Amino acid sequence: MKIKSMGFAFVLALVSTVFLAQSAVAELGNGSTNKDCLQVGTITKLGNRELTIATKFEKASKTYTMKLHPDAYVMTGDRGVFKKFTELKANDLVAVYGWNLDGSNYVARRVVILDPNSYLIKRLESDAKAGVYYKHEK
Amino acid sequence: MKKKLFSLLTLSVALVALNLPAEAKKTILTDKDARDWQVIAPQDSDYPLRDYAILYDAGGTDGSIGVIGIPSMKTYRHIKCGTDLHNFPFSGSNAGNNNGTPDGKYLYVSDKGADTIAEVNLQTGWVERLFALPKPFGIHHSAAISPNGKYLFATGELTGKMLKLRLSDGATTVLDIPPAPSAPDYPDTSKDGKYVFSGNYYHSAVMVFSQDPFKLIKEIPVGKNPHGTNVSPTNRMVSVCDKLSATISIIDVDQLRVRKVIPVGAGPLHNQFDSLGKYVYNSCFVSDSTSKTDVMRMQLVDEFPIHYRCGHNSIAPDDAYYMSQNKFSTGLFTPTGIIFAVNFEEQDIDETSATYGKSVKLAPVDGEPHEGRQIFATYIQRWNTGKGEDLFEKGYDLGDYHVNFGEKGRPGLPANQHPQLEPNHTADSSRTWIPRDDGKPGVTKEGDVYVVRVKGFSYGYVPRFIHVPKGAKVRLIYTNIDKASGLTKNPDVTMGFTAAGYYGPRTMVFAVRGMSAVNEFVADKAGEFEYYCQQFCGPLHLEMRGTFFVDPPGGKASMGVGDYDEISKQETMLAPNEHQWIVGTNKLMNKLNEGSEPTI
Repeated sequence: MKIKSMGFAFVLALVSTVFLAQSAVAELGNGSTNKDCLQVGTITKLGNRELTIATKFEKASKTYTMKLHPDAYVMTGDRGVFKKFTELKANDLVAVYGWNLDGSNYVARRVVILDPNSYLIKRLESDAKAGVYYKHEK
Repeated sequence: MKKKLFSLLTLSVALVALNLPAEAKKTILTDKDARDWQVIAPQDSDYPLRDYAILYDAGGTDGSIGVIGIPSMKTYRHIKCGTDLHNFPFSGSNAGNNNGTPDGKYLYVSDKGADTIAEVNLQTGWVERLFALPKPFGIHHSAAISPNGKYLFATGELTGKMLKLRLSDGATTVLDIPPAPSAPDYPDTSKDGKYVFSGNYYHSAVMVFSQDPFKLIKEIPVGKNPHGTNVSPTNRMVSVCDKLSATISIIDVDQLRVRKVIPVGAGPLHNQFDSLGKYVYNSCFVSDSTSKTDVMRMQLVDEFPIHYRCGHNSIAPDDAYYMSQNKFSTGLFTPTGIIFAVNFEEQDIDETSATYGKSVKLAPVDGEPHEGRQIFATYIQRWNTGKGEDLFEKGYDLGDYHVNFGEKGRPGLPANQHPQLEPNHTADSSRTWIPRDDGKPGVTKEGDVYVVRVKGFSYGYVPRFIHVPKGAKVRLIYTNIDKASGLTKNPDVTMGFTAAGYYGPRTMVFAVRGMSAVNEFVADKAGEFEYYCQQFCGPLHLEMRGTFFVDPPGGKASMGVGDYDEISKQETMLAPNEHQWIVGTNKLMNKLNEGSEPTI
């Protein structure tokens, strides 16, 4: 009886561990994380080749600070016009492509100034209003 | 009566008034409308036309990169690269969707026919270096670039191998992918420098490799016969086209498991994520459609019909247009030769546009293009307005980012020189067309000539194995024996034969019903060479495979027995005084110093 109980407990523990392992680290569907290689949001702060954005179109806005990679550039998303970093302004809606080096240092490889009137932005806005949030994959 | 007339007049005025704003909107050209020049009334500002984006396509059988304007779809030029081109990334970084984060300098295109990778200088418009891969390799669906732009990852579909290549000098690490049959398919790199994903066509799985050190770490089962495999720009997921399951499998990059299987059109082949990773578009060959999947809802949300038989695809850098790169055009265009032109179909995917979901242009194109990628035209400098010397010496700026045009750090190669290479498309062979030959398939000897009769059909060859001795004079007679317009509604197709690698430029022939193609060459290098159909012929086109053995004196050729060291030099692709621009070869195999070669 004791052995049976121990076996049952072992199996239960194993199943629970597998279940927790599958669900605890699930990131897809829960909004942006600092591991994402693309963040979309508005600029809240500009520093020395560094920018901070507040994400948009998600259930809850998150804040990320990125340093510009030495080869990084800034351009417009509608026609590909290259800009200087100093031409970025607070409240600009941007897409930042890059990567996270060690969990805390996000490197921006390309900053794209988005057109708020583009269909993709309009779609992300209307979807968010309808409860379909960006990076909250179903 | 007067009252009635008055009412009628009022109604007419109201109708005219209602129509006025729409008419006015049509004829006013704003900056935002500029791209829609083809759907609004002609304006003075339409001429001269300057395209805002450029589509580069790996032209397949014409061995050239096609350079096409977006949205005009005018072909600007062809860049000669080799024999049979398949896939490429732009130099710079893989950050973003398939178009990446280019620096405007190069693209790296795989040549399945010659088994090479050509480096195309986007600024000069010529091939600048030729990467000679270790042999036998059998490249097909190359190549994906690392986030730091220093490495390529390529798949050896014909040998079951994978390769990591250092771009500075062509040094490589090669992995064998057992168990056979193993056919590594389209690869893509994760944007965080961790993984390489590649479908394994015969395993119905996606292989996961670590980028550094380069090794296989996992196989993830997906739908049947996965083809296009692409990482989303967010790096959160991978979309896999399950060609024979009519689904896409969405792999969670964080957990390395399939998160969802989404039904799309039949025969999905390739993925294009938009720049924000909101939608993924799939070319669906059998259903003749473009599927549009919302990856936030994880469901198919729209489907656009295409003319017929889409294959590869590409997306404009502003997400306004999707290009369906179709495979067949039989009966569509004016005949211009034995081999029909295939076509590109431009679809408007701007949801606010009047022509959303419609095909706005359709044009014939050369070759049989595979992968296409697009960039804004602003990356390409104007060299012909007296600024050439300045640009050459000082480089150019992309905003704050300064791009050097003079190359440094390429071991053994001269700095500040940009060669104008034109690698051989076909070489050292003669080709003729004859009326249909109905001789028995197989190898016979006529005098001192080995006559090799091969029959091609949907989907296979007779015979599957060909043996000739080294030094043999070979006359290949290739005949298309399809009885009618093929399976699954295919129109009358062209069948191809290319023995990949050394014999690629020597053997590539095409066959249409009613005629045979003859090709004569000398089999002067021993080895085992996979032959394949280089002209897309239907959903099981990739099944068209066979093996051409050139046996050394007193022995049998195999993957281990052959003149591979000599072949790997690829010297016959360029003139002798250009050989310095061939880099890589077998000598550098497995010389990457793994562990100190970060990919990010």
